[in-house]
Amino acid sequence: MAKYPFLPEASKFMRELGIKISDLGKPEYRFILDRAENRIEGAILFGTTGDKSPKDDVEIPSFPIAVILVAATKNSLIRKRYALAEAKRISDLLKSEDKEKIIRIAGTFNWRMRPKARTTSTICDFTLHYTDFLKCAPVFHDKKWKLVNRQMSEGAVCLTVHEAARLLEEEIRRHIEKKLEIDVVSLPEAVMSRVSLLAQLFKEKRVVPSDKPSGEIVTSAFPPCIANLHSEIASGRNVSHIGRFALTSFLINIGMTTEEVMNLFKSLPDFNERLTRYQVEHIAGDRGSRTQYKPPRCDTLRTHGVCPSMDVMCEGVRHPLTYYRRKLRNVQRKPPI
Amino acid sequence: MDSVSAKFIHDRFSDYYRINLSTIQPPSAIEKREFGFILFKERMMVRHKAFRTVERLRDFLKEIVPSDAYYSSAYYELPEEKMEAKGRLGTDLIFDIDADHISTPCQKTHDRWICRGCGHNSKGLPPETCPSCGYEKFEEKSWMCEICLDSAKNETIKLIDFLMKDFGYSSEEIDVSFSGHRGYHVSVEKNEVHALDQVARREIVDYIIGIGIEPELHGLSERPERGTRIIAGPSLDALGWRGRIARGTYELLLSSAPQDLRNMGIKPKTASAISKHSERLLRSWKDEGPWSVVRDVGAESWMKLALYGVEKESAKIDTVVTTDIHRLIRLENTLHGKTGLKKAKVAATSIEGFDPFESAVAFKKGTAKVKISSAPQFRLGDESYGPYQNETVELPTAVALLLLCKRRAKMV
Repeated sequence: MAKYPFLPEASKFMRELGIKISDLGKPEYRFILDRAENRIEGAILFGTTGDKSPKDDVEIPSFPIAVILVAATKNSLIRKRYALAEAKRISDLLKSEDKEKIIRIAGTFNWRMRPKARTTSTICDFTLHYTDFLKCAPVFHDKKWKLVNRQMSEGAVCLTVHEAARLLEEEIRRHIEKKLEIDVVSLPEAVMSRVSLLAQLFKEKRVVPSDKPSGEIVTSAFPPCIANLHSEIASGRNVSHIGRFALTSFLINIGMTTEEVMNLFKSLPDFNERLTRYQVEHIAGDRGSRTQYKPPRCDTLRTHGVCPSMDVMCEGVRHPLTYYRRKLRNVQRKPPI
Repeated sequence: MDSVSAKFIHDRFSDYYRINLSTIQPPSAIEKREFGFILFKERMMVRHKAFRTVERLRDFLKEIVPSDAYYSSAYYELPEEKMEAKGRLGTDLIFDIDADHISTPCQKTHDRWICRGCGHNSKGLPPETCPSCGYEKFEEKSWMCEICLDSAKNETIKLIDFLMKDFGYSSEEIDVSFSGHRGYHVSVEKNEVHALDQVARREIVDYIIGIGIEPELHGLSERPERGTRIIAGPSLDALGWRGRIARGTYELLLSSAPQDLRNMGIKPKTASAISKHSERLLRSWKDEGPWSVVRDVGAESWMKLALYGVEKESAKIDTVVTTDIHRLIRLENTLHGKTGLKKAKVAATSIEGFDPFESAVAFKKGTAKVKISSAPQFRLGDESYGPYQNETVELPTAVALLLLCKRRAKMV
C-alpha cells in the first residue's frame, strides 16, 4: 500500500485516517506534510520522490497530500514533473515484483493482462490485450513498441516484465497527472506557504528559454515548422524524435551553442541531461562522426507530419535553413523605428 | 445525364425501396448513429440525420429514394447536431478494401482517365500530372471487372485472417460486405474497439499492411556460433507476423525465378545460389528453416526477401478509412448510385465462394433498351454481356441499370 498509494486499498486507508484538508495546518500533520513536500522537492530537483518514510501512517497519506500540494501550485510543468517522478518510482518497483502483483496493478486500470511462461522460442512473461497495449505504447518511439513488431495472437500481445513495467509507468503517469488537475480551493495558510516555496524552488531550478538565446538568433525569422517545435518544447510539451532532431540541428546550424540548446530542452517533463547532451553534441558534430548534421528538407518534414502549414515565404523554399536566411535578410532590411 | 435515363434510374431505385424495404437492417445502436444520403437531384449530400427506429429509417428511404445511403461508424450522443456538438461516444473498427488501391493488370484495359484541364485521356490509372497540360485533376472512369474484384476479395480474405488469428475476433464478430461497386467493407463492432483513438487505429493499419515491420524483431537474426555465423529465423507455423514472414518468404522462394530475385535487389551470385539450392531450401522448412542452409545467402539477403514476403502476406486496406473515426459507411442492402447493385452481406467464413456479381444483383425481372457508348465484356448473374461499342441493345433491368449508372449508356 505504501509502495502503490494509488491502489483502492490505499484510498480506503486514507478514508479511515479521516484527515480533513482544513486540519492540515495542525502540528500533528507536520510529518505527513514534511514527507509530502519531500516527495515534490525530489521530483523537482532530481526526478525522484525522496526517501520513503518507515511509518505507513506517514508514507501512505503523504502521497494524496502531495497531490493536493502539487495541484495547488497550479503549474502544469510541476504537475508533469511530479507525475513522471512518481510513475518512475513505481515502475522501478514493479520490475522486481512477482507477476501476480503486476497483473493486479494492471487490473486496477482494467487492463486484460495474463501471466505466461517463457518458452525456448519466445521471451514472454505476460500477454496484454491489444486494445490495452495501444493505449500507451504508441507514445514510445522505439520500433519495438510498434504493434506490427510485437508477437500477437488472438488479440494478446506478448510482453516481458520490463516492458509491462514500462507500459504501466506511462499509464500511472497519466493517471497521476489527471489526479493533479483537481481544483484546490483553499488550504490553511501554513500549507499554502509550503506550496509557494515549492513553486519558487521550481522557478529557480528551471531555466526559462528566452526568446533570444544569443545575439545572433532571430526567432521571428524561424520558418513555421521550427517556430512550432520551438514553442512546443519551450512550453514543456512532448515532441516527436524527428521533431527534436529537426529543431536541434536547425538551432545548431544557425549558431546556437550546445549549452543553449540544452537549456531549451530542460523544461521537458522527461528531460534526461546525460542522454540529451549526448544527442545534442552528436548533432553538433562534437561527437561520433564529427559531422555537423543539417536539418531535414521540407519534403521529409512534411512526410513525417512536422510541417504544420506553409506560409508565403515557404513557397519556393525547399529547406528550413534557406527560409531562415532569406527571412533574416528581410527582417534586417527593415528600417528601425 | 439526360432526363429519360435519370428518370429510369430513379424509378428503379424507387421500386427497389418499395419492394425490399424489410431487408433494410439497422446498424447496432441505430439511435446513436448519424445517417447521410446522396439525393438524385443535384447529387447533394444530406447529412446529420438520425432515426430512433428502423421503421423511421425505412419510411425515409421509401420517401426520398436516395442514390446512396450511409450511416456513421461512430456513435454519438446527439447524432443530429453539427460535428463539433455531436459528442462522439465511440467508433467501430472499420476497413475498406477497394480495387482502386490494388494494382491489377486489367486496369490498363478497362479504366480510363480524362484530364479536367485539357480533356486529354488515356487508359489505366491517372498519372500524377497530365502529360499534355500538367494539370492535376482527372475524371476517372473505372470498371468493376472480375479480376479486380477477385483481387479485392483475396485482400479481404487476408484481412479476415488477421482479424481472427492475430486480433482474436470470431467470424461472428466480423461483419463483411461487398460494397456494391469495387470493393469490400469489413467492420468489428465489439465494445473494446470503440475507444481506440486515431493513433491506435493507425497502429492497427500499420500491422495489417506491415508498415514499419522489422524482421529482426520477429526473430530473423544473425549470431556467431563456434567461429561461424548462424542465421536464425521464424518458422512457418509461428504465430502472428513471425509465421507470416516465414510463409511469405516460403511463397517467394517457391514462385521466384532468379531474374525476379535480382529485381528485388538480390545480388546475382546470391540469386543463383538460391535457385541452385531451391530444393534444399524448400525442404528445410520442416526443420530449422532455410535461413542458414546456403552459405552464399547472407542475413542481408534474407532481410530483403523477408520484406517482400511481408508484402505478399499483408492485406491492402485503405489507410484513411480505418483511421477516420467519423467515417460514413454505406448501409447494408441499400443501392449503390454508381452501379444499381446493392451492398450485400457475406459471412466471414464463406467469403471464398462469394460471387458479388450474383449476390449484389438487386433486380431480377424486366428488361430495358439502352444505347451503349462503350463497355468491356462483363458478367452479371450467370450471363455474360458485351463488349459493346455504340450499339442499342435490350438488356435485363439490372444490366441496363449498371450501364446507365456507370454512364456508359443512355435510355432509348
